[in-house]
Amino acid sequence: MNPFTYIKARDASQAVSGIAAKPQTKFLGGGTNLIDLMKMGVETPAQLIDITRLPLTQVEELPGGKGVRIGALARNSDVAEHSLIQQRYPVLSQAFLAGASPQLRNMATVGGNLLQRTRCYYFYDPAFPKCNKRNPGSGCGALEGYNRIHAILGQSDQCIATNPSDMNVALAALDAVVRVQGPKGEREIPIADFHRLPGSTPNIETNLQPDELITAIDLPAIPFAARSHYLKVRDRASYAFAIVSVAAALELGADRKITAARIALGGVAHKPWRAQKAEKELIGKTADEKTFRAAAEAELAAAKGYKHNSFKIELAKRSIVRALSTLTAMAS
Amino acid sequence: MAKIPSGKLPDGAGWQPALPKAERDTVMSATIGPARSRVDGRLKVTGAAKYSVEFEVPECAYGWTVESNIAKGKITAIDAKAAQGAPGVLAVLTHLNTPKFKSAPKKEGGGGGSGIRNEERFPLNDDEVHYAGQYVALVVAKTIEQARHAASLVLVSYAPEEPLLTMEAAEHKAEKPKKNNDEHVQIKKGDVEAALKDASLVKIEQTYITPTETHNPIEMSGTIAVWEGDQKLTLYDATQFVKGVQNILAHAFGLELENVRIICPFVGGAFGCKGAVWMHVLLAAMGAKVAGVPVKMHVTRRNMFVGAGHRTPTRQTLSLAATRDGKLQAIQHVSETLTSTVGQFTESCGARSTGVMYESPAIRVEETVFPVNVSTPTFMRAPGECPGTYALECALDELAIALKIDPVALRLANHADNHPIKNVPFSAKHLKEAYQLGAEKFGWAKRNPEPRSMRDGDLLVGWGMATATYPAHKMSAAAKVQLRANNTATVQCATHDLGTGAYTAFTQISSEQLGLPFENITFELGKSDFPFGPVAGGSNSTGTVGTAIHEVAGLLHKALAELAVKDSKSPLFNLKTDDIAMVAPGRIGLKNDTTKSDAYADILKRAGKDSLEVQSEQKPPEENKKLAFQSWGAHFCEVKIDPLLPRVQVTRVVSVMNCGRIVSAKTARSQIMGGVVMGIGMALTEETSYDPGTGLPVTRNLADYHVPTNADVPEIDVAFVGEPDFAFNPIGARGMGEIGITGIAAAIANAVYHATGKRIRDLPITQDKLI
Ligand SMILES: Cc1cc2nc3c(=O)[nH]c(=O)nc-3n(C[C@H](O)[C@H](O)[C@H](O)COP(=O)(O)OP(=O)(O)OC[C@H]3O[C@@H](n4cnc5c(N)ncnc54)[C@H](O)[C@@H]3O)c2cc1C
Ligand code: SF4
Repeated sequence: MNPFTYIKARDASQAVSGIAAKPQTKFLGGGTNLIDLMKMGVETPAQLIDITRLPLTQVEELPGGKGVRIGALARNSDVAEHSLIQQRYPVLSQAFLAGASPQLRNMATVGGNLLQRTRCYYFYDPAFPKCNKRNPGSGCGALEGYNRIHAILGQSDQCIATNPSDMNVALAALDAVVRVQGPKGEREIPIADFHRLPGSTPNIETNLQPDELITAIDLPAIPFAARSHYLKVRDRASYAFAIVSVAAALELGADRKITAARIALGGVAHKPWRAQKAEKELIGKTADEKTFRAAAEAELAAAKGYKHNSFKIELAKRSIVRALSTLTAMAS
Repeated sequence: MAKIPSGKLPDGAGWQPALPKAERDTVMSATIGPARSRVDGRLKVTGAAKYSVEFEVPECAYGWTVESNIAKGKITAIDAKAAQGAPGVLAVLTHLNTPKFKSAPKKEGGGGGSGIRNEERFPLNDDEVHYAGQYVALVVAKTIEQARHAASLVLVSYAPEEPLLTMEAAEHKAEKPKKNNDEHVQIKKGDVEAALKDASLVKIEQTYITPTETHNPIEMSGTIAVWEGDQKLTLYDATQFVKGVQNILAHAFGLELENVRIICPFVGGAFGCKGAVWMHVLLAAMGAKVAGVPVKMHVTRRNMFVGAGHRTPTRQTLSLAATRDGKLQAIQHVSETLTSTVGQFTESCGARSTGVMYESPAIRVEETVFPVNVSTPTFMRAPGECPGTYALECALDELAIALKIDPVALRLANHADNHPIKNVPFSAKHLKEAYQLGAEKFGWAKRNPEPRSMRDGDLLVGWGMATATYPAHKMSAAAKVQLRANNTATVQCATHDLGTGAYTAFTQISSEQLGLPFENITFELGKSDFPFGPVAGGSNSTGTVGTAIHEVAGLLHKALAELAVKDSKSPLFNLKTDDIAMVAPGRIGLKNDTTKSDAYADILKRAGKDSLEVQSEQKPPEENKKLAFQSWGAHFCEVKIDPLLPRVQVTRVVSVMNCGRIVSAKTARSQIMGGVVMGIGMALTEETSYDPGTGLPVTRNLADYHVPTNADVPEIDVAFVGEPDFAFNPIGARGMGEIGITGIAAAIANAVYHATGKRIRDLPITQDKLI
């Protein structure tokens, strides 16, 4: 672990001016990811600004029925248990509760969760010489290595890592908007533009600037999200990252015709994967297994597997079918 | 014992148990000791129990290692300047400046009385790299953060060579060891080839794979080394073998044995990974010597995957031939396992399962070991038996299906009354009752043998079973007792409590053998100053140390008798000591006339003594060649599987064990439960995966290496059958720390087959294999 200094910020502007003042400064949320990475020598900040005391921990309704705002420093467990979230966006509550362990969820913040880094073994452990994300230009250790947990959609030859967050998958399905504050003021980043595909710069994971603070996440009003669902497929019953996950919401009209659908996949790509092809395939069709399977096939048509993770392609299809079937069963 | 039906059942029919309940209860109450809560329970839950690295030593510095990230080659240069100049750094040790370790004790077989080294080299004494993760430098600094940071500044250059990482690559180096410890591992009995060629027999031939597994006890290994001058060394070490560590460290540093002290009152789980002396122990002592301050080294979870052993991966091919009514005519068990290039470790899969399990006129066991450039494997809970029973008991299930015979009936039909190789009767074997009680508790009779035939809503339900077995090991130990005039006693032995409940079991045995109330006994362990205790391995401790307690209790009674016969005020005055023994709790008296007796306390008081101390001698254990000693059990389990997303969930387990006397009912049950939990991990989730390029493990933390969580573990119903095995030792206990994990992975794999119709022959059974 590199020597570093530690300071506390009292409000957002102090945090933002603090990060601008010293290069190699990072915000410290719950620390459940950053501190681990510092111990491993993957992250080597010279300074940490503790932002956990910022007054950004509320979950509140936006005026005018525009949705719900979640403060960036709200703890994962508090958001999961919040009645606004449970009633209007059950998919998000379920996603939180499917993640990590109660102890970790009590520490983890929403902002930190947005930025949690991949669990690719080669990235996480600097003993591995190759990782373009950790050390641009060094190559990708996973490509020819052990790649069971890696991406099947949207990856590049430079990086096949996945985004490990459960929360992010639900946010992608809900069209969340990330609110940030930087030296030039505030701006909004739609979740679809927040995380990036690896391309040739897997070291740049988001479109957030290094001197910007995440202040909140806005969830737009989506009435049919009240019936939404998060399915997490993992290697043991609890406390494991998703090998595949699905966040979904369905709006059904008369005769079980699908009038609107939101689907996002986790564990398959460098960013939470909004399944637009599948969504398009569903609209106007009858909600049944055949329709769901066709939609899943459409989404995964472009998928590519590697030595240890090809199973994810079929697993993702099945997971889409199961998640949508579960929603349909809830409707009837 | 009531008769148990055996042999072939009509197709599709379940198997009906028959032992009357009353009979069962009598047997069990004679066998199972009282359910005592742990004597150290309060210390543990309040945090007062001190584990090795928790001892507070003044001026203690911290050690942090640098590890190689190549699997084979030579270190060409080490630049340690930046590290040496980093804040707080007291010393940087590399092969260029580390003093040579002196010597290693001569290797001994069996229990390794001289101490155990799996990795048979000394750290930082040369420039060779034998495996990825090998420690190539040690930084000693004032704080752990400083040590960790400075370690990251050490730059090591290598001349890498092509490593051997797999069985295929190491084919040309393969060896067939004759013996593992003292036991023959290449077994040949009868004409296996002929039976396997006999067209009239039904045959199964299949290969089963198990991956590398890592122990992962809660407490990682760790050592604090404290020198007094340069001739006296104290180690607070997390170990299963204080006497072994003492001997190896004395040799390594050329010290008098009694000048090396090892202290380890509590161990937070071990499962085998703390049996040998690993490199960090030697490094802590060397670091402390060079830096001139005490040094603490706590092995990181990450390094537990390279620096403290693991279970070797195995590839096992089973060939069975049986008559149509299910009598085995041949069993062939060929197993291939890995060891490292710097240590010879044999995981005796076949010898320790097929070599004992079933009656068959022809048996062949072949074991091949491939040395590779991977860190050295070691004992992991039931080494050999655990993967061996997995393969054998899956093959038996496949045979049962081929023969259309119920899996329990098939096992009963091939039950071995005699040891199949030694051809002597097994002592106090009650495996049939274990099958019977297990089947009854589980409701096995209601099983429809057809795969995919049982459902719970949309879920597939599978029922599977398997036999468990583990040998009864015996080693040598001595004990010391101090009896005080207030009827309390302290008993000491350099044995260990790995978290198993040994403190409690030894307190119970001491209470019974000394004839004093449980509450009046203080049992002390975990110090090399105490009389010899062997490695806490091979499930031997309860029996071995129990025997030593039995012996020392005899000596105490004799010493009391000697005082009494010389005391004119004693009812035993002038009697012969040989005629005197313990006749009631707290009293010795005439064996054939118990009206003549005297109380311990009175004898001591009249002799003017506050206390009386005796110690037994360490002597080789008595061998009984006329009988074979082995523990047995049966696991029954249920799995439920979603056909669309087929993650296997174990929903019910019944485990019935026959381990001789169960000294401590509560802790014994916990041991079996623990074994089953670990077996669930083996069957479904645990695998240490390696990077094919560097040879480094990739799953090196508890997020990536999946041990079962609570949500993966169902209610586990544990029961015991049988009787005390007094032919084995005076305590009647065969030990039971390891048997719980044997067979369970097969029971689960068999249940998965029953649920899905898919036979998965490589563990763990993750859902990708069932898609
Ligand atoms: C063993 C284990 C298991 C886990 N399992 C799961 C799982 O199953 N599913 C899952 O989704 N997650 C899982 N996690 C990850 C966990 O959800 C994340 O570690 C957590 O959400 C990160 O939040 P934090 O507040 O602790 O972030 P920190 O570690 O404090 O920060 C992470 C990053 O975000 C930056 N940051 C934090 N807040 C802000 C802000 N407001 N503005 C700008 N930058 C910010 C930090 O600078 C840092 O770079 C697991 C973690 C562990 C350790
Ligand atoms: S997949 Fe990405 S993170 Fe993993 S080794 Fe390759 S470049 Fe690094």
